[in-house]
Amino acid sequence: MNDALGMSNPFDREEYDRLATQFRYIITDIICRAGSGHLGGALSLVEIIISLYGRIMRVDPKHPRWEDRDRLVLSKGHAAPVLYAALAWKGFFPNAWLPTLNADGTRLPSHADARTVPGIDMTTGSLGQGLSAACGIALAGRMNNRTYRTFCIIGDGESNEGQVWEAALFAAHWKLDTLTAICDYNKLQIDGFTRDVLELEPLAEKWRSFGWEVFEMNGHDWEDIHQTIHRALQVKGKPSMIIAHTIKSKGHPLTENRPESHNIKVPDEAAYRKFMACFADNGVKAPY
Amino acid sequence: MQYHEMEMRAVYGITLNELMDEDPNVVCVEADLSKASGTNPEVPKKHPMNFINVGVAEANMISLGAGLAAEGKIPFCASFTCFASRRVYDQITISVAYANNNVKIVGTAPGITAGPNGGTHMCFQDLAIMRAMPNMHVYSPADAYELRAVLRHMATHRQPTYMQLIRSRVVPLFGEGYVFEPGKAVLIRKGGDVTLVSTGYMTQFALKAARELETIGIHAELLHCPSVKPFDTEGMVASARKTGGVVTVETQNIIGGLGGAVCEVLSEHWPVPVQRLGIPDRFGETATETYLFNKHGFGPRHIIDACMAMKERKLH
Repeated sequence: MNDALGMSNPFDREEYDRLATQFRYIITDIICRAGSGHLGGALSLVEIIISLYGRIMRVDPKHPRWEDRDRLVLSKGHAAPVLYAALAWKGFFPNAWLPTLNADGTRLPSHADARTVPGIDMTTGSLGQGLSAACGIALAGRMNNRTYRTFCIIGDGESNEGQVWEAALFAAHWKLDTLTAICDYNKLQIDGFTRDVLELEPLAEKWRSFGWEVFEMNGHDWEDIHQTIHRALQVKGKPSMIIAHTIKSKGHPLTENRPESHNIKVPDEAAYRKFMACFADNGVKAPY
Repeated sequence: MQYHEMEMRAVYGITLNELMDEDPNVVCVEADLSKASGTNPEVPKKHPMNFINVGVAEANMISLGAGLAAEGKIPFCASFTCFASRRVYDQITISVAYANNNVKIVGTAPGITAGPNGGTHMCFQDLAIMRAMPNMHVYSPADAYELRAVLRHMATHRQPTYMQLIRSRVVPLFGEGYVFEPGKAVLIRKGGDVTLVSTGYMTQFALKAARELETIGIHAELLHCPSVKPFDTEGMVASARKTGGVVTVETQNIIGGLGGAVCEVLSEHWPVPVQRLGIPDRFGETATETYLFNKHGFGPRHIIDACMAMKERKLH
């Protein structure tokens, strides 16, 4: 069975690599068409999001509100373009929506919006709030005797927010073992490297001391992602945090691992060509 | 014991339990102030699975409520007004109102009723800031019967809502069978000389003032607004057209709250003189009610004086 982008269901590394390149093309293209946008934090999540929607999460694009679907809260809501690419790939909405990112009257705003986008479970954009919301979703699942799993992706810069740690205490206290959080640890935030702005280390120890089961993975390695998330899903009696070591703006040489990648400005056609140049020779096409 | 003989917070706890009996999706969320809110021990005793204490973590409480609501729960998240509104303004704005999640936020001990906790805990701006938020309803019930009706409405209507909860016992103004309707003011007394507009805790004092005014031949029309947003534009304009002068009273800063709402409506639809009574843009302090009424000029005596002055003023 093939989906809209010609992806077959069993894992095939070459196909997944091709898909990742296509995601990067789409994300960069729609942000550039919009004139500006959060490129780096979307590109660092490409392999994780593809793995979640391609290999792990139980979702049904025909029934976006299916009660037993797995939930995902993209707490770093500014990475929405990678989520939009995944939802279009899975068929939650037409690919034609993708290039409308941030356009007047669009259904795809810069930050993830559950009100307008089928397949999004929680509106996010103000950092720090998503993990709390994910706790509420996971707790409601327990209260409602549902079997769904709740995923939440937070940013490393976002982890500066005190509310993240309020939620960390809560999830451990309530033993929310259906909650799996992933920290996109690309080591960069808007004003620079996390170690220079506000040191997070020792990050794994912090989460462990808050009562979470902690895993670390290479957030760009298909097998590591797949195995680590599956191990996290087996944890009983406490929530899981996966610290994903990633590279901001991964796969986009012009901006990769640079603070400026957080929000790029694309004022004209020349800038568009500059940002898209890296995709010239790899044969990817936009599906819209 | 009848409801008006109880503290309002006890009525809150009892009513929440009843609402949970009727709909298991109703959930009580507290932030380590559950005894102050009146839900503990009654709610956890009767509905332990529907009682969630998040600890002293109000930001988490609000966004957690959003997550619960997204899954069909009807969370009532309570704390002191200062923590339930201004401390978590962004969480309410984004997780609740912008995201349109069906969360009920309950701010306890509004305005000067925070008494002994003083200036740090006296929130004089919650009606103003919550009113300025799109997609948010703002209620301030004045007695136990209205509180029960408002709570029932909140539990049965999908609408992000902020409600002030007076903790103490309040004199009864209404009775069993009271029906609450958002966007509708309650005409408590008819009169043609001046319109007196109040909400929540101050309505009992406004009524006292109106009765005294009657004894000296001034007929004040008392319009009580349990629903500060949506606001009853029609009722307000109709009364202003009749009386030609308006006095507002609230235990809030006079900037932006009920008085602000009245001025907005009347200036656009039927401009008449308005006198706003409340806190004249000051912070609170540890003090008795009488002291604060006298200091800021919004107790029963001041309401009477303002109405008398308004009756004269509107003639010129």
